[in-house]
Amino acid sequence: MTEIVVVGGGLTGLLASIFAVDRGAKVTLVARGRGGLTLSHGCIDVWGKATPSRALSRLRMSHPYRLAGAESLRTGLEFLRDLCHQADLPYIGNISRNLRLPTALGTIHTSALAPKSLALGDLRDNTPITIAGVDGFRDFYPELVVANLLKAGIAINDALQLPLPLSAARRDPYAMDLARSFDDQHFRDEVARIWKPRLSGIKRLGVPAILGLFNPQLAHEELQERLGMALFEIPTLPPSLPGLRLERLLQRKAMEMGVFVIEGPKVLGRVDGSAKPARVSGVVLQTAGGGRTLTADIVLLATGGVLHGGLVFQQNGRVQESVLDLPVSYDEGRQHWTAYSPLETQPYANYGLRVNEQMQPLGADGLPIYTNLFCAGGLIAGADRSGEGSRQGIGVATAYRAIEAALG
Amino acid sequence: MPEISTQLLVIGGGVTGLGVAWDACLRGLKVVLIEQNDIGQGTSGRYHGVLHSGARYAISDPGSAKDCATENPIIRHIAPHTIEETGGFFVSTPADPIDYPDRWFAACHEHGVYVEEIPTDLALRTEPSINPRISRAFRVLDASLDSFELLQTLVVAIQRAGGQVWLRHRLEDLTLQGDAVVGAEVTNLTSGERITIRANYFVNAAGPWVRRIANLAGIDIPIALGKGAMIALASRPVHTIINRCRPPSDGDIIVPVGTVAVLGTTDVEVESPTELAIGQREIDFLLAQCEILLPELAKSRPLRAWAGIRPLYRSSGEGFGRTRGLPRGHVLLDHNDRDGVKGMASIFSGKLTTFRLMAEQAVDLVVEQIGVGLSCRTAEIPLDPERTQFFQLPKRFEEIATPDQTEREQIICECEWVNRSAIEEAIKSSSSLDLDDIRRKLRLGMGPCQAGFCGYRAAGIAYEVAPSPHTDGRLEAFLRARWRGLRPLGWGETLRQMEITRRIYVDLLHTPETQEPPQ
Repeated sequence: MTEIVVVGGGLTGLLASIFAVDRGAKVTLVARGRGGLTLSHGCIDVWGKATPSRALSRLRMSHPYRLAGAESLRTGLEFLRDLCHQADLPYIGNISRNLRLPTALGTIHTSALAPKSLALGDLRDNTPITIAGVDGFRDFYPELVVANLLKAGIAINDALQLPLPLSAARRDPYAMDLARSFDDQHFRDEVARIWKPRLSGIKRLGVPAILGLFNPQLAHEELQERLGMALFEIPTLPPSLPGLRLERLLQRKAMEMGVFVIEGPKVLGRVDGSAKPARVSGVVLQTAGGGRTLTADIVLLATGGVLHGGLVFQQNGRVQESVLDLPVSYDEGRQHWTAYSPLETQPYANYGLRVNEQMQPLGADGLPIYTNLFCAGGLIAGADRSGEGSRQGIGVATAYRAIEAALG
Repeated sequence: MPEISTQLLVIGGGVTGLGVAWDACLRGLKVVLIEQNDIGQGTSGRYHGVLHSGARYAISDPGSAKDCATENPIIRHIAPHTIEETGGFFVSTPADPIDYPDRWFAACHEHGVYVEEIPTDLALRTEPSINPRISRAFRVLDASLDSFELLQTLVVAIQRAGGQVWLRHRLEDLTLQGDAVVGAEVTNLTSGERITIRANYFVNAAGPWVRRIANLAGIDIPIALGKGAMIALASRPVHTIINRCRPPSDGDIIVPVGTVAVLGTTDVEVESPTELAIGQREIDFLLAQCEILLPELAKSRPLRAWAGIRPLYRSSGEGFGRTRGLPRGHVLLDHNDRDGVKGMASIFSGKLTTFRLMAEQAVDLVVEQIGVGLSCRTAEIPLDPERTQFFQLPKRFEEIATPDQTEREQIICECEWVNRSAIEEAIKSSSSLDLDDIRRKLRLGMGPCQAGFCGYRAAGIAYEVAPSPHTDGRLEAFLRARWRGLRPLGWGETLRQMEITRRIYVDLLHTPETQEPPQ
């Protein structure tokens, strides 16, 4: 049985682990912290700027999508969609037409796949929309959403504020706190009772994404039925529920399928010095008791870019890969790394490891550095995922391709 | 064109201009102050926060040292609510000249600057994170002073005394009649309206813009603009102001102020008052120099970098690029004496610590020239604290932490504890909808997340309070202003924080870009 160590517990690492275990490998997932899903809208962005199925084939050859191949993206997405469906968190959408979802700022988020409770807000559907905030929640502003959507020419009815049957809190609630309340059947009954008379005549209602963490599908369907209207969620400031729901689903699924998960330690790579061509022999976990070696036939890095520690940007103007000090493609000198505005494309976002079509990190000579080392997700060079609206799509496609190449 | 008249027109809404306006109000003059941007947007809001004891300048600039020593207790008396009693140390590190402390100590005594030598182990017990290899330590009367608090207090005091403070009014031209300045053409930048202001006297307190203003009256003032960069750490590794005991130079001071500690400063001559970009080498040099004072500096996270421009008088014909050597003392130019132009004086340079003295001397001149006005009272009359120590976190906490939970208020900026009603009030009372103005009033977005979370919330509240079709770009402008201070520090943890901002405002919220050209 092939033993594989996956480093990184974000969307990419979790999916790669699941793909690998599905192909019969023995998988250990080592996660130092949490990935980006807590910050995310929970959708699968594939290509936000245009129709993904058409745009992707025109990208430059060094783009992660081109290297991973269209088939990896399609199969990976299909796999993910089935997984979510089985776990009662259905995802809607496809790569031949992006969904157009309202954001908490009243702008439009184009995405390929979204959880059903978000996808019902699709602005291509002409059912009139009302946006509601909930009392005491500082991370969602319905009037701003409505004003900006109107400005963008979207037919939208009104903004309103709805009460919640909560006792006075000792601190401001996060989306997570409210979601925990919505997990409770009695709370939902009470909400439906209070909200119903205030919502007469409304066809489609958008609320902040707070409708439960543990069984969101049930909470959503139940409320929708009780209120008698289409109900959709809009992701809020982090911690963002739709992302957390997906994270939780993947973690449970991975463990259920037999992935062994180790949380906490920092990870360093271990190279087999005698092998020709060069190989990695596993990883060393920096645990409380000292280094602990984990041998593996295959190592997959899904450690992410700047945010999650896969790439370390140093004061001396260099960028280092954190597990094996692999060669990174970047501009030397930190004056080149950022752009004038946070909303523009950022040079640093494109930095990372150069890989081949098997997702193997390449050396300066263009050849794989270690025959049994693969990588996926935010660590790979050549894409500004925020600017392109491609973050999750790249994660899915490269994770799928890397596992496919590693395990055949 | 609408026209108004007043006795005194003050140009510039920094601490100098506000000081002049306040002093003149107390002397019974009718005063209007115009400021092209917001209060303290120039040099006053971009300083490191030290109420100087004078010790820093004992050798290099005895005039400034004496002025600071006299003014220090006066500022403590009139504006105690703006001051945190940090105290100050001067310490000799192994990298500092060994013969300097004795000369410096003698100079302090000569110029009336209080200084007391203390055992180094006492200094190290008080501040355990400073360099353990210091050979001498001295205690001085430095304190940290929140300039935003002081400026806001002055604005309120001026308005209560009947003076007017006009923000976002740009001086376009000065009108001369014969050899006297008699009027000013001003544009209201919010409405675009032009106004003529007639006045008996004009005080040019425009800081780095002082030369530009004087030019409008046909006068030239040779000044040099010395840019000083500062870095705020996201923590307070020291609670006393720590100075290096050596001749004034780059990276010789660490100032705990509010929730942060500020590392200061550099001195680079620039051509224009808006040349505020900070070079990578400036940052590296500042960090390296301050690391000598604070060996564990690398473990602290740099939060933000900014630069201010010192307008220095180039009286001696020094060449470009030699600003460190120019005197820091203030300069009052009577343009009647100096240039034969009546009705106008320029007051500039100097320290924030000496702003009151500068104002006193300027208004003495005004009173002498226009022949009306009482004698100066600013040293005796305390400034009425508008919101006592509002800028200090413990006070904010007291305000926010009410035992009665039903009246609990939403905290919008968690880093700086800004609550919802404070933001609502600031928006209602402000003529502009600029989130950056609210920041200067409330410290919104000045903490570790640099508006990552509160920027969206404030934009939402601003829309609810003052629905305006002109909301485009408001959020981006605010984010960009915060980003500007992060960019020079864009590596390691700070770059990670920047990426979180991007994940929120690009991935999650799809904040629209406006097409404003880069500065």
